[in-house]
Amino acid sequence: MSSVSSGKRGVQVLNEALHGIFRERDDVVLFGEDVLDPYGGAFKVTAGLSDAYPDRVLTTPISEASLFGVAAGMALRGQRPILEIMFGDFVALGLDQIVNGISKFREMYDEQVTVPLVVRAPMGARRGYGPTHSQSLEKLLLGIPNIVVVAASECHDVGALLTAAVDDERPVFFVENKLLYGRTIRRPEDGHVGELAVRESDGPYPALTFSATDFTEGSATVVTYGGMLPIVLDAVTELVLEHEVFCEVVALSQLVPMELGAVLDSVARTGALVTAEEGTLTGGFGAEIAARVQEAAWSDLRAPVRRIAARDGIIPSARPLEDEMLPSVEDVVETVMSLEGSG
Amino acid sequence: MLEIVLTREDANTEYALLAEWLVEDRSEVSAGQPVCVVETTKATVEVEAPGAGTIVQLYGEDVEVELGKTIAYVAENADELAAIDTEAAEKPAPKPAGDRKATRKAVELAELHGVDLEQIDKRGFITEKDVEQLIAARKASASPAAGSVLAGVSTDGVSLPATFGVDESDGALDRAFLESLDPEVFRQLAPGEKLTALREAGARIGEGVDLGEGSLIVAPRVVIEEGVKLGPRATVVAEEVVAIGALSQFGSDLELRCRRAFLGAGIWGGRSVRFGGGGHRDPWATLVVGDLAFVGDEVFVNVCRPVLVGREVFLTMRSLIVTHNIGHSILEGFENRFAPVVLEDRSQVGLGAVLYAGARVGAESIVASNSYVVGEIPAGSFAIGVPAKATGSSSHKLSEARQRDLARRFVDDLHELLALRGHVVSAVADDGFEVEGTRISFTPSYRGGTDGPAVVLALDVRGDVPGGVAVIDLLGRRVHGSGGVVLDSVREFCRKRGIKLEPGPWSYPGGLI
Repeated sequence: MSSVSSGKRGVQVLNEALHGIFRERDDVVLFGEDVLDPYGGAFKVTAGLSDAYPDRVLTTPISEASLFGVAAGMALRGQRPILEIMFGDFVALGLDQIVNGISKFREMYDEQVTVPLVVRAPMGARRGYGPTHSQSLEKLLLGIPNIVVVAASECHDVGALLTAAVDDERPVFFVENKLLYGRTIRRPEDGHVGELAVRESDGPYPALTFSATDFTEGSATVVTYGGMLPIVLDAVTELVLEHEVFCEVVALSQLVPMELGAVLDSVARTGALVTAEEGTLTGGFGAEIAARVQEAAWSDLRAPVRRIAARDGIIPSARPLEDEMLPSVEDVVETVMSLEGSG
Repeated sequence: MLEIVLTREDANTEYALLAEWLVEDRSEVSAGQPVCVVETTKATVEVEAPGAGTIVQLYGEDVEVELGKTIAYVAENADELAAIDTEAAEKPAPKPAGDRKATRKAVELAELHGVDLEQIDKRGFITEKDVEQLIAARKASASPAAGSVLAGVSTDGVSLPATFGVDESDGALDRAFLESLDPEVFRQLAPGEKLTALREAGARIGEGVDLGEGSLIVAPRVVIEEGVKLGPRATVVAEEVVAIGALSQFGSDLELRCRRAFLGAGIWGGRSVRFGGGGHRDPWATLVVGDLAFVGDEVFVNVCRPVLVGREVFLTMRSLIVTHNIGHSILEGFENRFAPVVLEDRSQVGLGAVLYAGARVGAESIVASNSYVVGEIPAGSFAIGVPAKATGSSSHKLSEARQRDLARRFVDDLHELLALRGHVVSAVADDGFEVEGTRISFTPSYRGGTDGPAVVLALDVRGDVPGGVAVIDLLGRRVHGSGGVVLDSVREFCRKRGIKLEPGPWSYPGGLI
């Protein structure tokens, strides 16, 4: 496990990865709103890129539906477009292109074409950006066949994930939680992040499994992704220090196609599952995982799968109201504690 | 003093790049002068000095700085510049975040059994199970050797008295004597008769020991050095050993009950001092009080877990130490705590302060009157409150000039005291005066050459000390040479200013003050 990115902030790692991708592949083109230097994008992920590659970085008008169409066309013609959507909420404007075009062409034309594009989209709240700039809309994408949804967390090799997404022949939606930009990347060192032992699965979009006991015991598994990971890790640490309740945590980076090998392995050890996501509860990431895990591992479970998510509602701008709406460390602690003694 | 703060220019980022300083660090700047270039996510801006003065830069160039941080000060005069430097020098290194790795249960169990969590070498969290394993390992290898009586309590910062090292068989009483001993009958004997009986049965008791009327000492091993004095109606009962160092003394009604008591030399104890209470027969009930400790009137120390009191510690009157609490059922979640208490060397506990089970007061710290200490007070701090929190330092560094001024004033103060006491004293001249045919004087640095009889107070002693002269090294806290009643009086005067002098232990035999 590499730790070269540890200690850097997420935005730096992503920016360096983009520079690396542009250096390695000359078929890559990036476009989006305000991505040119000196501004370098709303979150500075593309800083320095247009200065270095003026012909391959394009700024665009505010018209997401057309941007998705343009990206699809470029990909069909053999380029590798990276589309930056300034706020993930605006992906909704491109849904027709995604659902009726990008995701369908490859199968519809019997594998004669591929659509190797990457859509980078910052999602997530806790910044006071209000109802239309704070959502975690991954679940809108989870049900679309033939696309890949990747979510980076601060313990993943974020740069390698982005590079793999660009190399992928399938359309990839690359979700960047806004808090990831400012947070320090904590890659496993010596198989540990802090006091937690970590295992990393193989493949381009690995899952990380954390254990408070070096995988010797555990009373529940918490599966999560992206910006919820630090919250879940804080909760798991509190559960150990205050209650001596030991959990495992699985942080997926590939949300779809859904591969739950790491989750099922962990549930076989712990016998209970909690899902944690920042998006709203109904019809979400947790719901899909709950359905699949109860089907595959009914006999391992000693309690019903519990879901932690945002309340089904809008995200207020006021920070105290926003905090009330979103899943917290306390929510994770309370949910895991409620499983104690069951079964 | 003016501050230059990195302000937020847009909502999306938490950092900005401090790209370039346009002025040298510590150069003079004028109001409105551009001093640095900051690249925020929205724009590159020049930051201007908020006023005129000397700029003190807190960051280098080409560094990312969190928004809202102060990046520079502008000192408007020399005092402000000095204050900035002092603050920078005093600022403690930031504590690493997330360094806690032992669970609450592990910490509680470790405290209960006096286990040092540092002994557990493990990657990952330290849990109750880890502590249980260590305790089991310790039990398996347990031997009754000296040292284990402290049950693993760290003696860092505590100078153990020489009496702590008494030999295993030292002062062992004849078993038949102990079996035949009827405490009530023994109590009625004259003090001298008691001492004779104890000595004959094997106790090691030095000369000049004064056991008050109606007192009782019962222990399988008794070691009492020269000049120990216990006031009337003392009760000293220990299951294993009692050792008391030379010249230690307690007032009337001392009660001392525990498994093992190791009291050092030169301890001064007041009236109605009580060591013991519930659990005093527990195997861990060890009491250690260091040399020259002060134990005030009506101090109560509950000893069912080790209590370590360091050298020169002050336990002021009515202060209270408990090593356990009594509560309701632990199965119902009530606190039921047993833990040692440690006072490191030269720490001080104010009137009526309470040290709760598990408290540890660092060396030279002061706990203010009526405070309630739970947990650790760092060394050298002044702690106050319920619960006590360190709010500052217990002492401050004096300049040499200030030390000289204070020490020189000793001569005037002593002169005034002796005159008020009715002694014939000469006028003060050349930092000295004469009393009872002996000259008392102060010199910052003693280099020899004084004629006796004389007592010289000095901050630094290098030269030879001739016969008839005594030189007191106030900073080195040592007496060179010897003297009679005048030296004893000066020494007592110094002791009352907290200056305890070697060679010791020493007790004031009486004199001019």
